[in-house]
Amino acid sequence: MAISAGVDMGTQRVKVVIMKDGQIMSQTQNFLGFEPTKAAEQALKEALKKAKLSREDIQHITATGAGVDMASFADSTVSMMGADAQAGAYFFGSARTVIDVGAEEARAVNCNEKGVMLDFVVNARCAAGAGTFIEAMARALEVELEDMGSLSLQAERASPINASCVIFAESDVVSLIHRDEPKTEIARAIFDAMAERVSSMVLRLGINPDIVLVGGVAKDAGFVASLKRRLGTEILIPEAPLFAGAVGAALVAAKRAARRQQ
Amino acid sequence: MLETIAEILLATIAVGLVTAGILAILIWVRNLTRKLSILRLFIQIIASIAIFVILLFWPLPWNPIFSGLVFSIALRLAIVFALIVVVTIVFGRFFCGWLCPFALYMDLLARLRKTLKIPYWNLPEKLNNHLDTLRYVMLASFVVLALVFGLLNAEVWRYIIMFMGPFKSLIIVFLSPIEPLIEQAGNALGFEVWGASFHDLRGTINYFNGTLLIQITWIVFFILTAASFMVRLFFCRFCPVGATLSILNRFSAFKWTPLLHIDKVEEKCTKCGICKRVCPVQVTEVYEEKGGNVTAPKCIHCFRCVEMCPYESCLNIKMAGKTIYKSKNWLKEEEE
Amino acid sequence: MASEIETGSRYIPKMSQKEIEELGNSIKAASIKVMEQNIERMKKTWPNRPEIMDYFDEISNFFGKREKEIREQKAAGKKLIGYTCMFAPIEFILAAGAIPVRVGSGWYDAAKLGDRIMPVEVCPVIRSTVGAKMVSLSPYLELSDAIITPLTCDGRTKLSEILSDFKPVWYMTPPRVKDDPQSLSLWKEEMQVIKGKIEELTGNKITKSSLRSAIEKMQKATKAFRRLQDLRKGPPVITGRDAMLVNQTSLWDNIERWTQKTNELCDELEKRVEQKDWACPPATLRVMVTGTPMLWPDSWKVPDLIEESNPQGVLVVDELCSGDRILYDPVGVDEWTMSDMLDAVSERYLMASTCPCFTSEHGNEDRVNWLMDRIKEYKVDGVIYYVVRGCILYAMEYARIKRILDRMGIPVYYLDTEYTREDVGQMKTRIEAFMEMLEARIDI
Repeated sequence: MAISAGVDMGTQRVKVVIMKDGQIMSQTQNFLGFEPTKAAEQALKEALKKAKLSREDIQHITATGAGVDMASFADSTVSMMGADAQAGAYFFGSARTVIDVGAEEARAVNCNEKGVMLDFVVNARCAAGAGTFIEAMARALEVELEDMGSLSLQAERASPINASCVIFAESDVVSLIHRDEPKTEIARAIFDAMAERVSSMVLRLGINPDIVLVGGVAKDAGFVASLKRRLGTEILIPEAPLFAGAVGAALVAAKRAARRQQ
Repeated sequence: MLETIAEILLATIAVGLVTAGILAILIWVRNLTRKLSILRLFIQIIASIAIFVILLFWPLPWNPIFSGLVFSIALRLAIVFALIVVVTIVFGRFFCGWLCPFALYMDLLARLRKTLKIPYWNLPEKLNNHLDTLRYVMLASFVVLALVFGLLNAEVWRYIIMFMGPFKSLIIVFLSPIEPLIEQAGNALGFEVWGASFHDLRGTINYFNGTLLIQITWIVFFILTAASFMVRLFFCRFCPVGATLSILNRFSAFKWTPLLHIDKVEEKCTKCGICKRVCPVQVTEVYEEKGGNVTAPKCIHCFRCVEMCPYESCLNIKMAGKTIYKSKNWLKEEEE
Repeated sequence: MASEIETGSRYIPKMSQKEIEELGNSIKAASIKVMEQNIERMKKTWPNRPEIMDYFDEISNFFGKREKEIREQKAAGKKLIGYTCMFAPIEFILAAGAIPVRVGSGWYDAAKLGDRIMPVEVCPVIRSTVGAKMVSLSPYLELSDAIITPLTCDGRTKLSEILSDFKPVWYMTPPRVKDDPQSLSLWKEEMQVIKGKIEELTGNKITKSSLRSAIEKMQKATKAFRRLQDLRKGPPVITGRDAMLVNQTSLWDNIERWTQKTNELCDELEKRVEQKDWACPPATLRVMVTGTPMLWPDSWKVPDLIEESNPQGVLVVDELCSGDRILYDPVGVDEWTMSDMLDAVSERYLMASTCPCFTSEHGNEDRVNWLMDRIKEYKVDGVIYYVVRGCILYAMEYARIKRILDRMGIPVYYLDTEYTREDVGQMKTRIEAFMEMLEARIDI
């Protein structure tokens, strides 16, 4: 009967998940803003309310994410890669590779059936392989962020974007608009470029099916389509991919609570 | 009766002294870069004394082995050849590095050179490899020439023997089985062949009574001495006895022989090249081969490479699969 | 014409004395702070750190006791000969009565200065050394009477050119292929030339007895060095950072005194082994680092993260020319004649090296064998492949090393970083993930 909580301190948002005996009881998110610890505590409070539990019921809290040090109320920490591996195996028993595309960083992890991390690779140098790229491009296209995906799915081909760097890609996009390139095709090209970066990172690790995609960007159908094309395989996506990190952390917390009871 | 007891007593004392000497070296020599070399020098001295005293001067029952009176010729042949094969299989050229008196002679010359702080000369690698092949040519020639010309003219046989160097008697130990064959064959064919057989080795030294022959012998001796002074173990590089002792190693079918060999653990080798530099016969296989049995046909088993390798357990002396000595971190035992 | 148009230094533009002093002093102050912090952090990880380590702490301060000593010795007539890479024949320097010291910058802030002269794609060690020269930061570099620069990689080749505007620079050209017959003869000739230059500078001839005594001094140093590394094979009786500090001190310190102090340290550590007094728990994850040199003080960034991470790791062995490779190979002399000693010294520096700047005709396995042997002897759990961005040689060998370690079942992580403190957060994340992975594998 382990009740645990996982706190994922991302770069933009904090996600909290409460689990009991391997079942998700509740999940909340909050923007971090200027006081990340407070925002995280707030998110935890809301998650407790939703789950109809009190703080004392939680046996163990594990924090993860880039801002993990700011979750001072957590009992322990786990790396994002470790959390991703746990979450991947939790959502899909056949998962062996978990790709996590966050706002500023992309990661890929190899794991076994128990969700134990076996190898990992990180791509932090190239912003074109992370979520903020889509935001920047959406601005350049003057399109809402939420519409980027559906826009790209309408295209049959991708406009040529040659730039190797996101900064130059932005000016590329502007000039494509002036040449009356359809926005659908530009959008598709943007997702293709992103998928290119992410897949070359995954190839360094080695593609081990089944592949699971998590992180905020996983909900974007346009990106998923491009990534599927690039990798040439099916990709499994959980219901709420944004909360994968927090789920993984909660699973680790449950394990640690059980070990301490012994 | 008393004589036999006296002989046995003397033999026991001799063995005891030798063992004491060996133990003294093993215990008291702390410098690991010299321990094995000093032990080898000691054994070389004992062996040389043994060969000359026992085989030449000591009238022991086994002298008649070389006399046609007690044993038949076929048995003589069989015993000597079996000896060569067994020694090769078990010890390879261990005889060369530890028991050969000529090698001792050349080692003593080297020690004299070292005391005088004169640096040695290395032979170019290609020349060294050619010399290695030369020994088989020499051995083959002696056998062929002896078989061909010995039948015709005994004098030629003498000249051939002469070029084998001052310790030809040793070489004759291995070649003498051929001589009675010649004698038999010659007799059968009606030729009067050189009738002397080497009933004992002492006879060989007295055999040559011609002045010219003695002069030429001594000239060859001095040339070899001078060469061995500047080039380490010069004669070993083309010695035909070495050929007989390693002839099996030449053929890859017999790679598993001899049972005594140098083994290298590939991972521990840093290719520092010390083994190649300190080898007195300039063997390069220990350095070049990746791992496993790295014994070269040229190797005389002095084990200087094992002694000087500074990485623990990299080079090992193996006897029938069991490691009897490993290379050590020789920095350790220096001053304590 | 070049000679007309190039006046003054060829690469480094003139800076005002004020700017040089201000920058130099601020980097120096920052460096002193970093050194103090490093030592504090090491003490925190190892509360029972032996007192003898204070000696090494003292020598590791570039601006303290050792600098003073060298100045005094120079005033008394001795020469200081610096070297940028581990192919310089230290035995010759000692035999001629001069002081050897390795010059190579471990200052992150100096790299930013070097950025003014060369783009960031260039190896940060080189950029940092140039930056240090710009503000006369390094006492050893400034006090050197000559600098031996083995041209092992592109960066070092150009660095020597840059430095030659300020100091007499003696090039050494090691051949890139180790086992050609012509390679060794070239290298031996280079050694002869350097010997002549050292004799000329110091005014002392290198005799048989002085060379023998220098070789024996270095052999004793190797003996103490190996003694320390052997003690790291078992449970951690010394932390990796402390061992690395002791190892690196041999590059700057008086070698005889260093030998004596290291032996004292080993005596103390042997006692602790008997008492089972470990620096960190025996179950601590055993990590090996291989790759580009990690120079004191700022490059303690990664070792700090490894040994302070959660779960904790301890560096039990490394394959670094700034670490366990420094004094590992002895000079093996057969006959103490001048020619054999010269051969022995020349061969030791060229042939035993595991630097990836070499290749060979027969598999180029020196580094691979060394790594494999260390992993087995030290029971390594995982390997951090540490590369500073800009080092092509180490970066390229990664593909080969990874395949080998995969076959051995040893996890390896490619950690590429820079001479900056800005990526500590990222490094921490990755190192902690790697350590978690190692821990999980042990549970499997």
